[in-house]
Amino acid sequence: MKALTRPTAATGALLVGGWLLVALLSRVLAPYDPLHSMIPLMTPGARGPDGAVFWLGTDALGRDVLSRLIYGARTVIVVATAATLTAYAVGMGTGLLAGYFRGRVDTVLSFFANVILSFPVLVLYIVIIVALGASAANVVLAVTFGSAPAIFRIVRAITIDLRSRDFIAAAIIQGESTWRILLVEILPNSSGALVVDFCLRLGYSAITMGVLGFLGLGLPPPTPDWGGMVNEGRTMAFAFPHLVLFPCVALSSLVLGLSLLADGLREPAGRLRRVG
Amino acid sequence: MTILSVEGLTVALPQGADRPLAVDQASLELRQGEILCIVGESGSGKSALSGAIMGAPAPGLKVVAGSVRLGDQELTGLSEREWCRIRGRRIAMIFQEPMAALNPAIPVAAQIMEVFELHARMSHAERHERALALIRAMQLPDPERIAASYPHQLSGGQCQRVIIAMALAMSPEVLIADEPTTALDVTTQAQVLKLIRELRTAHGHAILFITHDFGVVAEIADRIAVMRHGRIVEMGAARRVLTQPEHPYTRELLAAVPSLVPPASPEPVAAADSPSHPVLTVTGLQKKYGRVRAVNEISFDLERGTTLSIVGESGCGKSSLARLIVRLAEPTAGRVEVNGKCFLSLRGRELRASCRAVQMIFQDPFGSLNPLRRVGAVIARAAVLAGADRRTARDRATELIDRVGLPREALDRRPAAFSGGQKQRIGIARALAMNPDVLIADESLSALDASSQAQILELLRKLQKELGLAILLITHDLRVAAQISQRIAVMQGGRIVEIGSAEQVINSPGHPYTRELLESAPGRGLV
Amino acid sequence: MARMSVVDAQASGLPRWLLLKIGGMVLTMIAVSFLVFSVLELNVDDVAVKVLGQFSTADQRAAWLQEGGYNAPFLLRYLRWLGHFITGHWGNSTYYREDVLTLIAPRLAASGLLAGAALLVIVPVGLALGVIAGVREGSVVDRLVSVFAIVTTSIPEFASAVFLTSLFVFWLSWLPGVSTMADGFHLRELVLPVSVLTLYSAGYIARMTRSSMIQVMQSPYIRTARLKGNSMRRVILRHALRNALITPVTVIMLQIPWLLSGVIVVEVFFAYQGFGTLLYQAALNTDIDLIEACTMVSVAVVVTTQVASDLLYAWLNPRMSFR
Repeated sequence: MKALTRPTAATGALLVGGWLLVALLSRVLAPYDPLHSMIPLMTPGARGPDGAVFWLGTDALGRDVLSRLIYGARTVIVVATAATLTAYAVGMGTGLLAGYFRGRVDTVLSFFANVILSFPVLVLYIVIIVALGASAANVVLAVTFGSAPAIFRIVRAITIDLRSRDFIAAAIIQGESTWRILLVEILPNSSGALVVDFCLRLGYSAITMGVLGFLGLGLPPPTPDWGGMVNEGRTMAFAFPHLVLFPCVALSSLVLGLSLLADGLREPAGRLRRVG
Repeated sequence: MTILSVEGLTVALPQGADRPLAVDQASLELRQGEILCIVGESGSGKSALSGAIMGAPAPGLKVVAGSVRLGDQELTGLSEREWCRIRGRRIAMIFQEPMAALNPAIPVAAQIMEVFELHARMSHAERHERALALIRAMQLPDPERIAASYPHQLSGGQCQRVIIAMALAMSPEVLIADEPTTALDVTTQAQVLKLIRELRTAHGHAILFITHDFGVVAEIADRIAVMRHGRIVEMGAARRVLTQPEHPYTRELLAAVPSLVPPASPEPVAAADSPSHPVLTVTGLQKKYGRVRAVNEISFDLERGTTLSIVGESGCGKSSLARLIVRLAEPTAGRVEVNGKCFLSLRGRELRASCRAVQMIFQDPFGSLNPLRRVGAVIARAAVLAGADRRTARDRATELIDRVGLPREALDRRPAAFSGGQKQRIGIARALAMNPDVLIADESLSALDASSQAQILELLRKLQKELGLAILLITHDLRVAAQISQRIAVMQGGRIVEIGSAEQVINSPGHPYTRELLESAPGRGLV
Repeated sequence: MARMSVVDAQASGLPRWLLLKIGGMVLTMIAVSFLVFSVLELNVDDVAVKVLGQFSTADQRAAWLQEGGYNAPFLLRYLRWLGHFITGHWGNSTYYREDVLTLIAPRLAASGLLAGAALLVIVPVGLALGVIAGVREGSVVDRLVSVFAIVTTSIPEFASAVFLTSLFVFWLSWLPGVSTMADGFHLRELVLPVSVLTLYSAGYIARMTRSSMIQVMQSPYIRTARLKGNSMRRVILRHALRNALITPVTVIMLQIPWLLSGVIVVEVFFAYQGFGTLLYQAALNTDIDLIEACTMVSVAVVVTTQVASDLLYAWLNPRMSFR
């Protein structure tokens, strides 16, 4: 918790916390129903016929951009979190096993991870979405596939390093069961690095959703989705830049917040040397 | 003639450190052709002192007062530019970890030649010639091959000689050596110390030698300065300081150095009611990695209530041996019997039930405890694994903390709150929670200061007496072995080359390697 | 250079090492091909629907499946496809109505040009920023570079494309908004796509270089170099860089796979006729043969780059041997 007082972490926490609040209070904050069509292509700040202001304008189908932005926050946060958690469950479980037992288990799991890692990430997503269709569940699946191998590698490396420490040897010599060693000795000691990675991966997942939405492969319309909003507004961007600028700013600020938070939570490197 | 004079040198530590000054008003003089040893435990400020003299204090440290004069030149306050002309040419420094101190990407000859590039006008060919000559002067075999090698292709001792060659390339007036032999084997250390002595005698270099090892000090010092908490508490001629120390701290340090003379036949404990067969029997134990035999046909007995030390240098296989006995690794051949029963064939539940008989304490206090768990929980868990229920386990933890001499509050704290010596005590308590018959100490004293070492040795002796514990001590330090063991086994290249009672091995060694080890032990006969 | 003597001494290990690596590559490619084929063509009905459209009747689909040999067992179909693929018969694109192989080649070259141009900017910028930040750790410059790196790696490519386009195309009108290269090659049309790719990647490389530099600067041999009488400048140039750049250089090689992803978004945004837009169109139109081929090609690029990166690392790091 002390880490949160550092400026980078604090800024990050603020940004992330802000968007989290927006997502939680979306029903309250959004002035309009995000799926409700009104007057198309109003510029930001223009007034509607009943006097209400479209703060961020409306899109080509007449839907309020601000409301879509607010609900989009909910979409991104829910799906990205679900995806990252699933990826972590898979990656962490396999990484622990591979790193602790080594041998054949490690060879097989590492081979699978390497195979998946040989795909350029976006190509992998495209193949999965094309094969399975576009839906929230499939986006979660795609992100899991894309992130789990990287998480596997990190957890495996940490586990291998920890396994060589003497306190693990002591536990083994005392007849401690493998389960307890993994859960009580190894896992808690990796949490520091993994928390940092988790924040970063949340950001990557959000970016992935944005990119898939931008390519028209993300959540099916009319779900409010930041990437999808950019895709829809792209052709008219020259005349109506508000259609694409606001979703981009929203996504960038969320991911920036996560990156800053991750950076702030990192173990301070370069400690002062002890007096000798 | 005084070459280097330091007066009132004061170096400040950054905010938040455990004391305000790393070095507090240090004053000393270094004369031509003499070796001045600065001795102190870790944290005494000796390295900070050497860094400050070179104008390159560790990050965060700052020289705030005092003067350092080299000949008639004042060194404090020099600009970085002027320092570049003095470093390497008039003062040179060598320090610990010789392989890490050389650039891994450049062959060693080029690194030596760089000194000439910086401070002398020579052609490339001349520089190469001089570098080769220096390598030869360091008594390194096959100089051409060494010259073309990268640091990782040389041994630690060879690297250190290369570094010494680099340091002496421009015949500096002063050579500062900061723990240069600490990371080396005892036989290699003996060779390097001999080399340094010759440099002093033959070439008249003035050498400032920093170390924590009084044995080394006794071996080479002309004069000694003792440091504590940043202050020089005693200084004088070597012979005088070693035989008639004035300051209580010096006396304390000297008393903590384990003597090479084994104490008058330490009694094996519980001789009367112990069963007639030994508690641990190892027969023909072997471990092969590919073609290399790390452990080669090792056999020995360990009687209840006695200590057997296995002594050898790094790479001899002693740590592998320890790991084989506790089954952290599986041997390729041989038998291990504990209390008469075969230990190696146990599996699963049987193994978990019987493993309590042989427990281990480790070398690195910092890595041997889970940093996130409280001490009490760790010891109690060990007791539970040995069969106790929760409540009994907690009582046991309290009892053991008392036994190892730590306060009860320790039970609720995490390892980070303790010093190295205290962590080792916790490790001992954890091992004892299982009621072991055999305790294996794998280099458990190597990472400790001399005074902590002495205390842990005392604790082990006491525990052996009280509990009838059999101790297998793995160490590279003959002094430690001499002080605590009834029997000593000397290991080399995976084999036991000599085994016998402590007195016999130390006073009348049979095997040439044992003799070499004894002769290499620094300060033999003086400390 | 002196380094070569070390490699020569271990040359006997090099062919074996290469063989092992290439073997691994082949194994991976086979696994990938199986994965891709299963995912896309396991369910033959789906394939028929995708190719013939949603409004095709069951009879039409059944007839088409029979004709195309889709009723054979899965493994047989896979092996048949794999055989065709290895011999260069990559099928036909249903969208472009062309042979896939001849379709991909020029597009790949175009993307290669884009990625190459990007690398030309990314490498010097990233390395330079990283070295400067690492040497002056904790200073204002370091913090600026670190913040820059964090910011640029947080903005997805399409978002930075939007920002840059808004600035340079909509507002300032300095650059063209699309890069179709319709009437020949124009450097101006490359500026924005390259900038977008550079922003993200340069920041990442800068961070990696910075931490590598910091680690090296704390090494004992740097202290030795300084205490020999080297000026700080010489210490950095002669000792630090040589060791600090080993990791970043290999990381740069591994940016190529990343660029393959980034290039898709950038090409789509700026309508650049490259590999990325090809795959995009294939995805939108479920052009199965084209998707399979594009995927295999991308994976081949990634896998080759990984081996090349390992080779480079082993060559640069004298402590490594090809055992």
